[in-house]
Amino acid sequence: MTTTVSSRVPVSILTGFLGSGKTTLLNYILTAEHGKRIAVIENEFGEVGVDQDLVIGAEEEIFEMNNGCICCTVRGDLIRILGNLMKRKDKFDYILVETTGMADPGPVAQTFFIDDEMQEKLKLDGIVTVIDAKHVWEHIDSSDEVKKQIAFADVILLNKIDLVAPEQLQQLETRIKNMNAAAKLYRTENAVVEMNNILNVGGFNLDRAMGVDTKFLEPEYPFEWAGIYDLAAGTHQLALEVGPDPAMSIALFPVKEATTEALEQANMAAVLRFSEDGEHYKTGQVIPAAQPVLHNLQLNDQAATFTLEVKEPGLYALFTQHLPSEFQIELRTDNNTQTPALTHEYKPKHEHDNEVTSVGIETPGDLDSKKLNEWLGNLLRTQGPDIFRMKGVLSIQGESRRFVFQGVHMLFDGRPDTAWGSTPRRNSLIFIGRNLDRAKLNEGFRACLV
Amino acid sequence: MSRIKARSKRVIDANSRQRWRACVDDHVNSLAWSPDGKWLAAASISGPITIFDGETGLVQYSLAGHAFGTCEIAWNANGTILASAGQDGHIRLWDPENGQERAKFPGGAAWVEHLAWSLQGDLLASAAGRKLRLWHGTDGQLLQEYPDHSSTISDIEWQPNSQILTSASYGGISFWSHESNESLRSFSWKGSILVIAWSPDGCYIATGDQDSTVHFWIVKDGQDLQMYGYPTKVRELSWNGSSRYLATGGSDITTVWDCSGKGPAGSKPIQLQGHAAAISAIAFQHRGPLIATASADGALIFWHIQTPKRPLVRATFGSSISQLAWSPDDYLVALGTADGVVTVCTPPHL
Repeated sequence: MTTTVSSRVPVSILTGFLGSGKTTLLNYILTAEHGKRIAVIENEFGEVGVDQDLVIGAEEEIFEMNNGCICCTVRGDLIRILGNLMKRKDKFDYILVETTGMADPGPVAQTFFIDDEMQEKLKLDGIVTVIDAKHVWEHIDSSDEVKKQIAFADVILLNKIDLVAPEQLQQLETRIKNMNAAAKLYRTENAVVEMNNILNVGGFNLDRAMGVDTKFLEPEYPFEWAGIYDLAAGTHQLALEVGPDPAMSIALFPVKEATTEALEQANMAAVLRFSEDGEHYKTGQVIPAAQPVLHNLQLNDQAATFTLEVKEPGLYALFTQHLPSEFQIELRTDNNTQTPALTHEYKPKHEHDNEVTSVGIETPGDLDSKKLNEWLGNLLRTQGPDIFRMKGVLSIQGESRRFVFQGVHMLFDGRPDTAWGSTPRRNSLIFIGRNLDRAKLNEGFRACLV
Repeated sequence: MSRIKARSKRVIDANSRQRWRACVDDHVNSLAWSPDGKWLAAASISGPITIFDGETGLVQYSLAGHAFGTCEIAWNANGTILASAGQDGHIRLWDPENGQERAKFPGGAAWVEHLAWSLQGDLLASAAGRKLRLWHGTDGQLLQEYPDHSSTISDIEWQPNSQILTSASYGGISFWSHESNESLRSFSWKGSILVIAWSPDGCYIATGDQDSTVHFWIVKDGQDLQMYGYPTKVRELSWNGSSRYLATGGSDITTVWDCSGKGPAGSKPIQLQGHAAAISAIAFQHRGPLIATASADGALIFWHIQTPKRPLVRATFGSSISQLAWSPDDYLVALGTADGVVTVCTPPHL
């Protein structure tokens, strides 16, 4: 009896720093999924059968593997343990692999791609990363492991949200989304989350390869924040404290409603305006809200207050070059601080080269498969170690079906999927990694179009 | 020659060649004939070990084996002890005459995966995780505790006609003596070795590797040859009795390397084509020219090494064949399957 593709047992990888709540999540899954046979591969010694579940201890043994031109690292211990497990008559419904806190998820994920036995009997469903919303700030800039755990994730649990302020949480979410635009994010307390949000998510399922939140595939903007305020006619005060820069540019637009769509429409106009030179203002000066120019606020390392003059009452979108929190910006009316009806943080323009980012490409048109193969082959050869994940749906010239693909580092898996039919043919793909050159990736990809 | 050709066209019913057939509770993980061919022991992956009468298939003893699973079983040189290793962290010794457990001792890690009896004396080596231990096999006295390997030991085997033990892990092969716990020698290769097979004449060590390669180490000078081009990792290796041929799996095709003359370097291997699924087990006769190959779809094929283009006999057994073992006299072949079937067949007559 040969094993068919449909009988492959799903595997989820759980990553997260020590103390993030990974073990709490694991126990929660085992309780919530009571009745299913679950095997857990942990990074602790020993083998224990709990009810119908099986817990096996593993030592993370990372091996280099060289298959022709592809060199990658895999978990040798997993190949051995899972190979053994899958031979047993008593089959498991699900397998959870818990990694150590400092683990790079790359070798674990690659194990399921490169070993034929693993591929035949198991299907990697997804990588679930648990993040301590409070303490992650201590590591997110310095730790390569935290970045990789975020970058590789299909699902991210922002855990312990009860310990942090809403703004901080929002800031963290934005930061994470900038790193990995493809991951699904859930806010949790005690790692409590709907099971179908973390198990059987199909993160490595080609049919669901493009479940990307396109909002975060947006280009970089010359501004970092926007808020929609409801302003009465008259004067308002814009107060700034000393911030990291001696100047800051803002732009104001009347908008029809306080919705994401209205803000998006204002985006493009704001981009244009931020490319202008604009007017300069010193503290105490009056800024006419209706005037369609970029307003450059001169701060000179001092707290400053500007007067906003509003002739037409209504909703205004305020775009700021830097995050308001960096300057503790407040918009006041008669000394009362105004709360924006809607806010949005944009991807910061200046990123460190080694920062983990997502680069999304969305474009109509058909691809020349030969050119695409060459480009992608070259890209993976030269940048494979820096590309953590990639997924996409492509429109190949002469192919009536969607071509879906995904990959981990240099390992690539792709095939024709459903027919395009009457839906417009287009390409959407995402790269998650470091040192990704957005412009160059776009240019390279577009050069493959027919 | 013509006689063999005539036989090769017959596709026979699997049952007609079966001497006996039995079932154990789970995937057959290890099969071992006692040196006199009297007993056939079979271990299942979930733990129990069964000792069958090799001739009739009657169950002589059902042994408890190891909790969580038995990994490997092996008879000592005179057939008085069956040793087993398993996922309870122990090595156990069994008496085939009364089915009693004689001794148990710890391998040093959760899974004791490998065992090897020396052919001279009663030295028993065990490998568990990174730990390699050497025991006095009749009383379980620990003779040597070797230094931890740098990664999990994937296979162990004694050098033929010697008291030297070899172990493989990621990074190469190490040689050990029973007299000292320091490594005598090592062959390095930056890759993951899955299985080792000494040529019976002791000239070569062949390895099957995770990287879809086979290595030949020339023991005399430590040189190695690497054979590429396997579609998958290689776990199936079998030498013929004269050490001329090494049969290898890692594909639907069995690739046989000829080590005569200048050796396998640069040579074109013999290919045995006839399976429709991945090769799961290979066994050369101990002395004769026959080779049995088995695949993941349950097919068993007998070949004559001199006529590699034509299978002699083919039979199917329902589920993936995990183990193949020729009886010591080469007159019978035992096989075990993923569904727990243990059966003994007669090979084609030459």
